Amino acid sequence: MASLEDLTELETRAVADVAAAASVEAVDAISTAALGQSSPIAEARRALRDADPDERRALGRAISQIATAIEAAVEERRTVLAAAERALRLEADRTDMTLPGRLPYRGAAHLVMQVWEEVVDIFTAIGYTVASGPEVETAYYNFDALNTPPTHPARLESDTLYVEYGDDPEAVLLRTQTSPVQARWMESHDPPVYIVSPGRVYRRDAVDATHTPVFHQMEGLAIDDNITFADLKGTLAYFIEKFFGPGGRQRFLPNFFPFTEPSAEMQFSCHVCDGSGCRTCGGTGWIELLGCGMVDPFVLETAGYDPTQVSGFAFGVGIDRLAMIRYEVPELRYFFDADMRVLEQYR
Amino acid sequence: MKASLRWIREFIDLPGDDPVQVGEVLSNLGIDVESIEVIEAGATDVVVAKVLDVKSHPNADKVRIATLDAGDGPVEVVCGAWNFEAGATVAYATVGAVLPGGLVVGEKEIRGVSSPGMICSEVELGLGEESGGILVLEDGYAAAGADFASTLPYPDTIFDVSITPNRPDAMSIHGIARDLGAFYDLPVVVPEVDFEQEGTTKAVVRIEAPDRCPRFTAREITGVTVGPSPLWMRLRLRDAGVRPITNIVDVSNYVMLELGQPLHAFDLDRIVDETIVIRLATEGELLTTLDGVERVLTADDLVIAGIDQPLGLAGIMGGGDSEVSQATRRVLIEVAQFEPTRVLLTGKRHAIRTEAVARFERGVDPGLPPVASARAAMLIAELSGGRIVGGFVDEHPHPAVPVVIDLPDHEAERLLGTEFSVEQQIGYLTRLRFDVDGADPMRVTVPTYRPDVTRPADLVEEIARLHGYNEFPSRLPIGTGGGLTPEQRGTRAVRSIMAGAGYHEILSFDFLGMADLESLGLDVGDPRLDPIRVRNPLNEEQAYLRTTLVPGLLAGLRRTAQRNRPDATLFEMGSVFLRGDGPLPRQPKRMAFAATGARSASPLDQAGEYAVEDARGVIEVLCGALGIDATISQQAIAGLHPGRSGRVVVAGEPIGFVGELDPDVAGSFDLTRRVVVGELDMTGLLPGPFAPFVAPSPYPPVVFDLAFDLPDEAPAGDLVGVIRGVVGADLERIIVFDVFRGSPLAEGRKSLAVRLTMRRADRTLTDDEVTPIRAAITERVSEELGGSLRGG
Repeated sequence: MASLEDLTELETRAVADVAAAASVEAVDAISTAALGQSSPIAEARRALRDADPDERRALGRAISQIATAIEAAVEERRTVLAAAERALRLEADRTDMTLPGRLPYRGAAHLVMQVWEEVVDIFTAIGYTVASGPEVETAYYNFDALNTPPTHPARLESDTLYVEYGDDPEAVLLRTQTSPVQARWMESHDPPVYIVSPGRVYRRDAVDATHTPVFHQMEGLAIDDNITFADLKGTLAYFIEKFFGPGGRQRFLPNFFPFTEPSAEMQFSCHVCDGSGCRTCGGTGWIELLGCGMVDPFVLETAGYDPTQVSGFAFGVGIDRLAMIRYEVPELRYFFDADMRVLEQYR
Repeated sequence: MKASLRWIREFIDLPGDDPVQVGEVLSNLGIDVESIEVIEAGATDVVVAKVLDVKSHPNADKVRIATLDAGDGPVEVVCGAWNFEAGATVAYATVGAVLPGGLVVGEKEIRGVSSPGMICSEVELGLGEESGGILVLEDGYAAAGADFASTLPYPDTIFDVSITPNRPDAMSIHGIARDLGAFYDLPVVVPEVDFEQEGTTKAVVRIEAPDRCPRFTAREITGVTVGPSPLWMRLRLRDAGVRPITNIVDVSNYVMLELGQPLHAFDLDRIVDETIVIRLATEGELLTTLDGVERVLTADDLVIAGIDQPLGLAGIMGGGDSEVSQATRRVLIEVAQFEPTRVLLTGKRHAIRTEAVARFERGVDPGLPPVASARAAMLIAELSGGRIVGGFVDEHPHPAVPVVIDLPDHEAERLLGTEFSVEQQIGYLTRLRFDVDGADPMRVTVPTYRPDVTRPADLVEEIARLHGYNEFPSRLPIGTGGGLTPEQRGTRAVRSIMAGAGYHEILSFDFLGMADLESLGLDVGDPRLDPIRVRNPLNEEQAYLRTTLVPGLLAGLRRTAQRNRPDATLFEMGSVFLRGDGPLPRQPKRMAFAATGARSASPLDQAGEYAVEDARGVIEVLCGALGIDATISQQAIAGLHPGRSGRVVVAGEPIGFVGELDPDVAGSFDLTRRVVVGELDMTGLLPGPFAPFVAPSPYPPVVFDLAFDLPDEAPAGDLVGVIRGVVGADLERIIVFDVFRGSPLAEGRKSLAVRLTMRRADRTLTDDEVTPIRAAITERVSEELGGSLRGG
């Protein structure tokens, strides 16, 4: 059995070895050798049973002190080494945070459709219903019901795309406006009417900077007992402020449309130059935005309403045009281009 | 239309002199001013001079020396132009004169002869494009020495105005002045007409199509000398955007611009028997119009004809044969009225857009022909030295009946939202020259130049115009509520889920060429190969309505690849058009997507390329987010990779397909890598009903794995389906975690491993309960799929 002196020496050596150990593993090995089952200390503890009872207590205390001292040294060294090893491990795991992240592509709704949803929301917020209808439409709903008789130039083949469907070559067409949705709605609903009808519309236009054969429009219609031009002005002022933000000015100029009387064009003060004249507004300070007016008595009568009892207003605005103006898109055709460089700009 | 402010001021004494303010007034009247241009005289120290003598230059052949009387004694200048002789009146730029281009004129020595100043051409004076010679002014233009700039009609303001189709009355200087007169409540004078006549014309007019020509007048002027118009006339036309031609043609254009009545001058000596017939053309009849184009006429075209042949296309363009030429001595001035719509249609048919068409298609005042005829006759006589022949011909088979409208006194208030007294309304209408009788209703007689005003609402617009649209109050009415339908909400949800899944929305035209459809590899008889044709397509590539959204997406992938961005994820939502039973085609809404190339924006991810798993992932994400229980069935879809395609099934109904494009189909769109596609019907993507919340169970699960030895063709989906069927509601989750082929499995076999998580909401499951379930699963998989439990 090792003497107390031997054990004290063991303690001294173990503490020194622990202090010199370079890894947690080495510390553990020293600890096992010094304190494990077959260590001299364990042996000495086992031998205590046979020791002189008078010495046993003092001897036991001395062995415990030696063991505790070694354990403390081991624990201290292990903590230091573990922290160092953790630091090394994490350092080895370091990455360049400026590299690209790992993501699927960021997709996006089309800009025109974002504007579509936004303008619809502006109107549903004041109690409008969203109406829709077919894109391939009858000439009746697209023209006749809207005070555009068969001799009207808008119906010419040079302007309207007709579709080979059924026997009458001029009966079915790609709608040139979303107004047929209004005509259909009025046919099946009594006043009051508060609807907006966003949708695709078609004209026989070759593609250039400001024309495409397909574009998007939203029309609005309000018919009630006491709807006046003042309501039209107030509604459009609300719309413009919501869409372009506060502070703009609007003006209404007389214009002509077959389905409204009186008719007006609404212009608003250029949001880029605030009316002083710039490239966006062509130097005039005003941007021509939409056509509007009081619903023509013919249209009301065709819908089965009494034009002496109810009145209404209607307006139509190009959704693509709103997007072009607000986002300063120079050419309409970009909206119909699947170029990723274009699509990635939509967010 | 270009409107000179000076010209307008000949008819109305406008207050103030700010052209911008006049422009604002015009716009507020509905005469939209698109731009305003100011023309300045532009030349200083240029004087009118009389050429006293012209002699040759001693040292040069190409120039001459002219002696001028420029007011203070004779001056000799060297001049390179040859279009004048002694006696001519010219514009002489003195030494120190500044010309419009900024050129300062000095004293120059030309081949040894000193030339103080120069004689100017039109171009040098900024007055025209003629640079072939100097500007020769008409005799008696102004006294020698007079300041040339002050003889010009400048400064002037030119408004470029756009006139709406309902306002024929505003298609003239006088008409614009008349509207301003109503606004300012000022008198508007009528153009001067004062002439003498001699003899009686032999010209005869016969209207054979009175419905198309309600009025036709003719007036003869004899002894005319055709030549250039005086400078004032040429400048006025130039400033209106009309090219000066000869005095006769210039006058007809001038009167048209001034009064809004198109007119035409014929060489009377070239009209057989001096007889004019207004008739419909015969089908296939030929007419060479003034622009030199030979036109094949239809039986719906109205012609002004001689007894032998057509002389002109009525209301649109004259013919070359009866055109006024330098040799013309007698002219016949035609001033007529034609049915507006037919003029428009004939003009469109022959693709002719003239100033005359622009006016006739709106409807010219039926009262105007005699006035315009007289005005033109007076000016032609004045400018050409001709004499006006008596016997004015005025065939008027359909005299216009004035329109009378009863206007209730509250109608304006009802539509405009602001109160108008009867006096106020009568005041506005009277200023517009409407006659008003009575008070409620007001009985209003409309002037013949306002064919657009036929109903009370039209009168209300007139009151609104004069009152000013911007003066009305503003009020925001609130609707009756409504918002979006479930379909509209569903469409938005699909859009936002697809965008969130990394796809970019595109918008394609709804048109396709047959070649696009034929390259899709569809089966014969597929309804998508029977598209509806556009009757008047822009081109063959856009001749059909789309029956599928896929070609638009593939074209999009090709286009972006051509622009060096070959990795793309696209989707589109829109209608397709299919034949149906009703009067209109079926127009179902679809959502389609396509992707190809790298699955990550960063190559460092090594995420691989888009493949069919991504298509399935889209369906899982989309239907999962919408709360739709969708499955994908293994099925070869025409045009898609036969082993990598399938149907999307919701509630037992197919709602579309997904997969990888057949490599050959991809190749025909120049796509070389795997292309993921899918197309789904939007009615199948309506968000599901609200799902009741399920509280998570507090009890522990039983988790165990099963691996089956199965025939290679057995779909994993079927295995999962069988297990779900056996386990029922206690199956919380099942995932396929391993697919394996090869040894030790037999040829044609595969191993599918699944991990089941079972859990009850009310208590802990025991192993004793699970054991019989495992046995039941094994039995059913064996029966239905021919599989055996591995290691079991």
